[in-house]
Amino acid sequence: MKYFAGLDIGSTAIKVALVDEEGKIVGVHVSSSGSLFHKNAREALHTLLAQQGVAKDDVRYLIATGYGRKLFKEADDSISEITANAIGAHEVGKAYGGVRTIINIGGQDSKAIQIDDTGNVSNFAMNDKCAAGTGRFLDVAARNLDIDLEELGDYHFNGKGAPLTINSTCTVFAESEIIGLLANGHGKEEIIAGIHYSIAKRTVRLAKRVGIEDRVYFDGGPALNKGLVAAIQDELGRELVVPEYPQTTTAFGAAILARNEFFAETS
Amino acid sequence: MLDHITDDFDDNPAAMDYFYDLFRRAYCQGESLEREGVRVGTTCIHAPEELIYAMGATPVRLCNGSYHYDQIGADFMPAKSCSLVKATLGMLSSENVIPRVGKLDLIVNPTTCDQKKKASAMMVGMGHKVYNLELPPAKESEQARLYWQRSVREFVQQLRSLTGKKLTRKNLTAAMARTSRAQAAFRTLHNFRRKAPSLVLGKDVFLVTNAYFFDDIERWTEAVEKLNAELAQRDQDGFCAAQKKAPRILFTGSPPIFPNLKLPLLIEESGGVVVADETCSANRMLYDMTAVDEWLVNDMVDSLANKYLKPCTCPIFTNNEDRLRRLVELAKSFAVDGVVYQAFSGCQVYEMEQKSVAETLNKAGIAMLYIETDYSPDDMGQLTTRIEAFLESLKTRKRNRK
Repeated sequence: MKYFAGLDIGSTAIKVALVDEEGKIVGVHVSSSGSLFHKNAREALHTLLAQQGVAKDDVRYLIATGYGRKLFKEADDSISEITANAIGAHEVGKAYGGVRTIINIGGQDSKAIQIDDTGNVSNFAMNDKCAAGTGRFLDVAARNLDIDLEELGDYHFNGKGAPLTINSTCTVFAESEIIGLLANGHGKEEIIAGIHYSIAKRTVRLAKRVGIEDRVYFDGGPALNKGLVAAIQDELGRELVVPEYPQTTTAFGAAILARNEFFAETS
Repeated sequence: MLDHITDDFDDNPAAMDYFYDLFRRAYCQGESLEREGVRVGTTCIHAPEELIYAMGATPVRLCNGSYHYDQIGADFMPAKSCSLVKATLGMLSSENVIPRVGKLDLIVNPTTCDQKKKASAMMVGMGHKVYNLELPPAKESEQARLYWQRSVREFVQQLRSLTGKKLTRKNLTAAMARTSRAQAAFRTLHNFRRKAPSLVLGKDVFLVTNAYFFDDIERWTEAVEKLNAELAQRDQDGFCAAQKKAPRILFTGSPPIFPNLKLPLLIEESGGVVVADETCSANRMLYDMTAVDEWLVNDMVDSLANKYLKPCTCPIFTNNEDRLRRLVELAKSFAVDGVVYQAFSGCQVYEMEQKSVAETLNKAGIAMLYIETDYSPDDMGQLTTRIEAFLESLKTRKRNRK
């Protein structure tokens, strides 16, 4: 049996996806990036292979993507995470009737990608060098509020009052704004909902820049946060397609491409 | 940066050695670029250099591309202003200037964007003699044409009081012959870039046009003519400077100026090739030639003024449909796959025109990538992702079209 792997080395997490000859997903694995990108990426790959009982030599083609893609020299090829994300979302989106717009929020950037009906990127926009509206922003906020990242979604829906307004677009300034709101006795729930809406507004603006077409797919780690999903849906005025494993869409796209490249090269 | 341009690419044209060496001497070894006689610094391509040459002075363009000077310039301008203006001010305020342009007898500052307008007083504050060459905010109207002609005539008077020379039909014709020869050499180089696969990389052409800022005009022209001869030979031999399928890029927006060539270099390192540009550090500076055919010297000056106003595609003008037309025309005639639009953060006019350019290109079926950046090297990771994704999408597009 031949297998193909996609390895997405992101700023916060390393995601691996394994597909078979038909391009069907075999397994995925997510682990923390840490500071030793290369070592952790290799370990993540080994862990997934061991879990699935796949021998290393059976992985015939591997494509690396994400910020650390150039560091992983063992890869057969590398590709930008925008292209990989488009391929992955196009494939996963088929089950939902096809997607044309992708919103991706990662550890240190957020992107909006428009794809055509074949999954090719037709336009995209990315945040500028600033962590506003990214996963890092949520990370900092959760730490300020002394709660776990995973709890953010629950807090979002439990507020008694309306979501507060977070005006600062800069992560560092927003941090002091949050502390100020806490000092004024505001509840964590309303603050969290406010943070989610502030990220949602920025993200939707980015998506409008590339042009929003149905359906809109939302992926990346922060897509696991139900509160953020709700806020983006509100701002967007339409439903989002959130896949079962939002973190691994890009790795899956790279794996599919690895499979296609392998057959293109051998035929 | 220079080593990066020379050593990280194979098969650089031998005739490029002249330019690599020129930059190495001027920027790395601090060789003096001082010239005999009166030296006039310019802060924009709107200063008619034919007049400066005719009056016996030598122009030097001061627009600077260094991050180091950008940081110094932040003392004069708000932090969010354009890197180019800040870097130019930073350079002019420094004691040990790189490149060493030497003593400037006059700086001519065309009143283009707000930032350059306000930079004028700061240059005076540094002890420079500055002449504001007044430019109208529009270019189509008769009023604008007359206003600009008067400005240019005033500029002639200013030069006259500086050099003591009188402008004559003879010295103006001679000056125009010098710049025309340089422009003709540039046009030949420009036209070689139509070839597919490419004969020369964009990073080299940007370096060539950038050298025009400060090099001796005759020496520069000869070096470009040599490069052209080599490219003609390359063409005959069937040489390729880039892969056949390399996406062909048209570069527009804020000008790449050495050492800030990060974006063109990134494009070519990622497997694209810059085949044409619409920027004031290259094509816009050298493309439009003067063919003045008037009997009287005053009429010659007026025609020359027209040449500096009418065809200019700078976004400072109220109405700038010429730029849209020019971009579509360049994209089509150079078989371009995509356009990369660079705007320096704080350069509002380029930032604002981005939308209409994107819409126009989109309608013409040409993909565009908009990148807002500045002189700092810290966004390289993000830029790499964007450029690579853009080139990948262009390649897929091409494949699907077949």
